[in-house]
Amino acid sequence: MSARYGMVIDLDRCTGCGSCMIACAADNNVPVLPKATARTGLTPLLVRKVSNALEGTARREAFIPIMCMHCEHETPCVTVCPQQAVEVDKATGIVMQMPQRCLGCRYCMTACPYHARYFNWWDPAWPAGMEKSLNPGVAVRMRGVVEKCNMCHARLHSAQEKAAALGKREIDPADYVPACVEACPTAAIRFGNLADKNDPVSQEAHSPNAFRFLARLGTEPKLYYKSSEAWVRALAESASGPVPENKSSEKKLAEVQHG
Amino acid sequence: MKLSRPTLIFAFGLAVALLAGWVAFPRVLYSKKHQPVEFRHQTHAEKSGIADCAECHAIREDGSFAGIPAMEKCASCHSDKIGTSPAEATLVDDYIKPGHETPWLVYSRQPANVWFSHAIHVKRAGLACTECHSTDGQSDQLRVYQVNRISGYSRDIWGHSISRLRRAPHEGMKMSDCEDCHRRHHVDAGCLGCHQ
Amino acid sequence: MKVTRRDLLFWSAGAAAGLIVSPVPWKVLDDTSIWSQNWPWIPQPARGPVDVKQSSCTLCPNGCSVRVRMAAGWPVGISGVATNPISRGALCPLGFGAHQLNWHPQRLRTVRHGLSTSTWDAARAAFAKACSEGPVMVVDGYPGRAASHVLETFAQKHGGQYRVIVGPETRALAPYETMSGVPASALGYDLEHPQTIVSFGAPLLDGWGAPGRFTRLWADRAASSTDPQLRLIQVDPTLSRTAARAWQWIPVKAGSEAALAAGVARVLLEERLVPARGPMPPMTLAEAAAQTGLTTDSIRDLARTIAARTPAVAIANDDNPSIAALNVILGAVGTRGGIVRRSKAAKPYISADAPLPSLRAVLIDSSVPWDFTPQTDAEIFRFAAWDGGPTDGGPRNGAASNASSKPADWLLPAPGFLEELTDVPTAPALPVETYAVAVNLVKSPHQTHSTAGFVNSIDPALPTTETIIHTRCADLFREHSGTLHAQETTPVAKLASAQKLEEQLWKGAVWVGSELAEPHRSANFRCELKEWPTAAASSRSENWLAAWPAPVLPPLAAKLYQDSSLREPPARRNS
Repeated sequence: MSARYGMVIDLDRCTGCGSCMIACAADNNVPVLPKATARTGLTPLLVRKVSNALEGTARREAFIPIMCMHCEHETPCVTVCPQQAVEVDKATGIVMQMPQRCLGCRYCMTACPYHARYFNWWDPAWPAGMEKSLNPGVAVRMRGVVEKCNMCHARLHSAQEKAAALGKREIDPADYVPACVEACPTAAIRFGNLADKNDPVSQEAHSPNAFRFLARLGTEPKLYYKSSEAWVRALAESASGPVPENKSSEKKLAEVQHG
Repeated sequence: MKLSRPTLIFAFGLAVALLAGWVAFPRVLYSKKHQPVEFRHQTHAEKSGIADCAECHAIREDGSFAGIPAMEKCASCHSDKIGTSPAEATLVDDYIKPGHETPWLVYSRQPANVWFSHAIHVKRAGLACTECHSTDGQSDQLRVYQVNRISGYSRDIWGHSISRLRRAPHEGMKMSDCEDCHRRHHVDAGCLGCHQ
Repeated sequence: MKVTRRDLLFWSAGAAAGLIVSPVPWKVLDDTSIWSQNWPWIPQPARGPVDVKQSSCTLCPNGCSVRVRMAAGWPVGISGVATNPISRGALCPLGFGAHQLNWHPQRLRTVRHGLSTSTWDAARAAFAKACSEGPVMVVDGYPGRAASHVLETFAQKHGGQYRVIVGPETRALAPYETMSGVPASALGYDLEHPQTIVSFGAPLLDGWGAPGRFTRLWADRAASSTDPQLRLIQVDPTLSRTAARAWQWIPVKAGSEAALAAGVARVLLEERLVPARGPMPPMTLAEAAAQTGLTTDSIRDLARTIAARTPAVAIANDDNPSIAALNVILGAVGTRGGIVRRSKAAKPYISADAPLPSLRAVLIDSSVPWDFTPQTDAEIFRFAAWDGGPTDGGPRNGAASNASSKPADWLLPAPGFLEELTDVPTAPALPVETYAVAVNLVKSPHQTHSTAGFVNSIDPALPTTETIIHTRCADLFREHSGTLHAQETTPVAKLASAQKLEEQLWKGAVWVGSELAEPHRSANFRCELKEWPTAAASSRSENWLAAWPAPVLPPLAAKLYQDSSLREPPARRNS
């Protein structure tokens, strides 16, 4: 039975500290380059600040971590890639990007509705000696290729190796925890197998305050968000107005869960 | 029938190119390097009773592969010279005593974006070491390390035959070789399964 | 026979045909594509085994437990440790990038004397000479460590001064020391039990205390609910991160926190919402409203809200005595859910900010914030792992530029992250005692010495950091109290020997004196409030990025302000 790894991100708990962004960059050997700006920087996980657009004491602000949504259906980036440099992994549902195969056309960056893909404008470089702090298990990319969140595939690989060494077929879920999930001080980012009915994350994805961004596009993202504040939920489809109930996505999730 | 001059010259050019391509090129493409220590698998198997590859080339508890063992492993027996060979002398004097890791040349080294898990192939799939590494474990001396001058990787990755025809079953470690074996065994690893 | 151009053409055609059916073009194509995907100048991670070790972060006095993945002897990844009952697996954003600090380009590599490089021997000689010529002051930014004890003993033995710089959490406890006589270092906040917390500008969710402690607590009890178990009321001039997520935000004019505290206290006493535990503040409600920019009604509502769900406690972000006075009125001193006294005795510290006597030399530990510069003409010996200034010796980043202060005369390379054996005394603001050992997992890439090690070499009769740690472990075992938190939780009383305790601590376990859920509260802690303190302006407390004491940030922090606009860039950093 294949897994469908996904997340539920509780926006009531996100304080916008940025620990997840740094843990992600550290685990995935993402460089910090002096010429980078907010437009050209590499942030496979990016926390955005949003507000209810009011001023004074009525103003509310929230923080939204955005990374690859690992779209399940008609995945836009997979559809457009001329190099087959990205695919939806059958066994896990992870949308796996292979930067070494990428030729840098950036069509996928245009196709991604969530702006979750980033281009390596420059070769990565670290100050002398700092390359010793690079994480083994994640290949360093070169300039000219696109990269994005791969759901910490290096940690999945370690979990699979450990299970194999112990003679097991399935990984121990405690061994596969993405860096952002592990780093979050308020446990706002929760990770689990959406195809497993008994997984608490899978159950939380069904809760009344859970929503997905741009669900109307039908890409079936596997990252769910949750907020008790209506103005935050309203951001899912547009900046104003309520979120329309998307029955087809509920049905799709049910199909995935029941096989 | 007498061949015309142009035909002969054409044939001459053809012959030169074929010779250059099939004979000279493979020789020139690879440069030869020697391993830092003349290690003998055969000696270790016979004299020290090390029968199992995994005694030195172990899969660790966390599932990672020890690869070519670290100097610590060699030092567990060779902290001082226990034989008379000049190779051992080199090992002990140049590497073990000063505490430097021996810079072994790895025949099967893959680029950084390749993830090959010995634990999964050996323990889960039950592949024998010889399936990919044939008789290397019984060799009397380590093969000369032939490195491709352009790509920087060992000749073992492409395989010895420059045309890739008439390859031995274990020869070749390119992506297509992995794919062939996976196809034969009906195991779909996807991209995520082999890349990092 | 003459070779003609036609010959050449036919020969080339033959050669081209031959080349195409030879391996040359195809193999060269394949090999160059492999080469082009693996350019030699792209840095590669180490190959080899990855070991996982545990230690404590030493970058700030909270000392969160860290799990460090090591490859080829260097840290390649940091994460938190869930079994630490204080940090609960969390780290601040900077902790996750700390493993790159060992290689920060601004690492202090050599001893510097003024603008030129010097040697350790020269530095030792100069310091020994200074000690013999006059009084020396030692400044410690992380008091309570074994190394601190070495420094303090040295200062006392040689007729000098030992002074400390403490963080905002401890500074905010100073008024209670004045009111009760109990040293601020013996006090903490019992945040696990109040139902209402009024924070006067303290960034509780963004850089206050150990990251996991309050943020997790708040997330579990308050985050998603409109009627939470824990009401967090944030008093802040702007919508800070804590204010944005708080249950209620009270926007006041900057610097008017004392006035608000006085106004709230007045309402609590006038409306008899609390027993009369102290004097009426002299400020009227109208004056408080004018100073804060709030209406009198909103101050009344606030007081009623606070009194509605008790225990209630107020948290200041600095030593503003008005907020301490409010806590006395609220009954949040020496009680459950308020300011409590930890069980062990502690001694009062002298702040390095206090006026200085005439000195011959000042020795500054690497834990002291970089922007601290003593106002003195004495010779300054400063330990630092990273240099905040440009390498040509120009003005140091953050150093005060007035005439009576100057950057250090001697800059001495200190060990960096996880490069020295040290211990982690009880973190500031905790209501329980804790202890851990931060093992040096990493060998410093440069020739460094710790401040304590330096004074040991000047005066070998002093105890060393390591011997003091051994003694402390032995003392902990002898007292038979508390629990050791590692993979399992073991009461100390059940341990076989002091050595077992020490072994566990060396492997990254954490000792806790009593559980956070039931802190031991010494009855010997009462505050006397005879008259309402005169109002003092509060300084804005800073979040993690801005309050970082070292002159450099972990390089990855730039993801938060350079590669994105999540945070404001810090005011005074070299990258």
